[in-house]
Amino acid sequence: MRLKYLFSVLALITLTIWGTVLAYPDKKLHIIACDVGQGDAILAVYGNFQILTDGGPDNKVLECLSKHMPFWDREVELVILTHPQTDHFTGLIEVFKRYKVDTFLVSEVKSSAQSYEVLKKAVGSTPARVVQPKEGMVIRLGLIQIDILHPSESFLQQGSRDLNDYSTVYKLKFGDFEALFTGDISPRIIGELLAKNAIGPVDYIKIPHHGSRNGTTLGLLEATVPKLAVISVGRKNSYGHPHSEVLKMLKDLGIEVRRTDEMGDVEIESDGKGFKLLNP
Amino acid sequence: MKLLFWGLLFFLALFRVLTFKVPVTDGQKVKITTRVLQEPQRFSNYQKLILENLTVYLDPYPEIFYGDEVVVEGVISQNKLVNAKLLKLQESRAVLPTFRKSLINFYQNNLPEPHASLVAGITLGSKSGLGKDFWDKLKNTGVAHVVVASGTNITLVAGFLVGLTTLFLKRRLAIVFVLAGIWLYAVLSGFDAPIIRAAVMGSLAFTAQEVGRLAQSFRILVITGLLMLIIKPVWIRDLGFILSFVATGSLIAFQERINRKIQVLPAVIREGVSTSLAAQIGVAPILFVTFGAFNILSPVINALILWSVPLIMVVSGVAGLLGLIFPFLGRMVLYLTYPLTSWFVFVVNFFD
Repeated sequence: MRLKYLFSVLALITLTIWGTVLAYPDKKLHIIACDVGQGDAILAVYGNFQILTDGGPDNKVLECLSKHMPFWDREVELVILTHPQTDHFTGLIEVFKRYKVDTFLVSEVKSSAQSYEVLKKAVGSTPARVVQPKEGMVIRLGLIQIDILHPSESFLQQGSRDLNDYSTVYKLKFGDFEALFTGDISPRIIGELLAKNAIGPVDYIKIPHHGSRNGTTLGLLEATVPKLAVISVGRKNSYGHPHSEVLKMLKDLGIEVRRTDEMGDVEIESDGKGFKLLNP
Repeated sequence: MKLLFWGLLFFLALFRVLTFKVPVTDGQKVKITTRVLQEPQRFSNYQKLILENLTVYLDPYPEIFYGDEVVVEGVISQNKLVNAKLLKLQESRAVLPTFRKSLINFYQNNLPEPHASLVAGITLGSKSGLGKDFWDKLKNTGVAHVVVASGTNITLVAGFLVGLTTLFLKRRLAIVFVLAGIWLYAVLSGFDAPIIRAAVMGSLAFTAQEVGRLAQSFRILVITGLLMLIIKPVWIRDLGFILSFVATGSLIAFQERINRKIQVLPAVIREGVSTSLAAQIGVAPILFVTFGAFNILSPVINALILWSVPLIMVVSGVAGLLGLIFPFLGRMVLYLTYPLTSWFVFVVNFFD
């Protein structure tokens, strides 16, 4: 009887060690647009480094983190909240409670949402470093480089009534691979960025504002000429996202489109040269 | 004498159930100040509480926990409190709810999802952390019963404590510790009807043994049910209460017989098969009537996973207690549940 217990424990230990070895991450950059319904949550993984951009409208982001991180890794190196709207930040509350976050990149903008206070409290009770993103800021994490393109100093002074316009916009570089993350910015901000020549060609773009008409412009797509456009959007959402005009623009330009409402998590993998879509 | 005892018990229970009425005053605006006595269920955009026999839906944040004190305002409508607003929340500082919360936090901070919720559900009957998708999968495959606090948990705790205490103590003294342990666990695991049912039954069985009475399970089941209804008649409408009794009754009636018929099966899964088949005989019709669905493969799925449940419970229980004092050590032990929960999750995903 005692031998049986000993055997069970040893078997469990062996299985756990095998699980640990098998879950060990590869040496490639993975970008996963998590299927969190109507909202945004995008995870970039390189080895043991994770960058999470937004947390979606509920706790579904936890499943995405669980699926794409080794089970023993409880540390997210960087969390970026593009702007404080519930479909972007709610999931982060539980992320901050359950994971150790090193740096939290977030603009100081007032949110009318009550639950934003809960997030602030959750962040405050952790040792996470809180940094405000500004145009020109560069963040390096291992081989990943992040260039912040928006908000600019002048925009912050001027302000905007639309919370979406505060969205942190950044370019993620990994070797020759480049991806553009746009939050929920409106055509007005896109126009300003294009006028400044801040946006060039990229491999991958996260379509702004869940494919809303109040987001993507033809100018943006022509300047970025992405190979892949990802739309993070919920099934049968009440906003009618993504808008048919945006889809038509993408189609006319021959840009490949992947949507989280159609295929769940959209994952790509890059070795620093090209990239490969892991969804069929 | 015997007849009088049973007659009296039946009559009293019947009287309580019939005369009991929820004060239905639809449309009335009320303010409820109360302690949360059942663990709230969390969904993506609301949390569901039972306060003073009323179902209350509140915003998902701030999170309310079992044991907290709340002040809620709303309008009564058919046993529900609609347009409910949370006016005040006083977090519980009582020992057991706090202990429960720190255990759940320990699991959630050290394991990914759905493993963390699975472990919290199996050890403490906490379903609050389960994502909706996974919870639906558990329901579809007919294994949701393992993550709600049920009689199985009490049986396991009692078995564990009996094994442990009889090593050091005389039987009579050991029983006292076991009874204390059972009730401590009952409070710790949320004090739901099925847990109370099992705790009362367990206590009656142990005490009966001690005072030299032959413990007849069926009789104890009936006494427990009547006693519980006398104390809290509202349970007659609690699905968990009903399922718990029907399942236990079916187990007592059929499990042995089924077990004898399926000797061909390997021992590891035989227990699981006979248990779930026996329970299903009583439970399946009720589930079918209430939910309109019932998975025919459920006994197979249960057989594949039930063996892992006691292991998960013991390992994560030990890990939790250890982890509250030595976080690193507890974490290492907790990792041992990962292969087991992975198997569990795999089976559930496969059959869903």
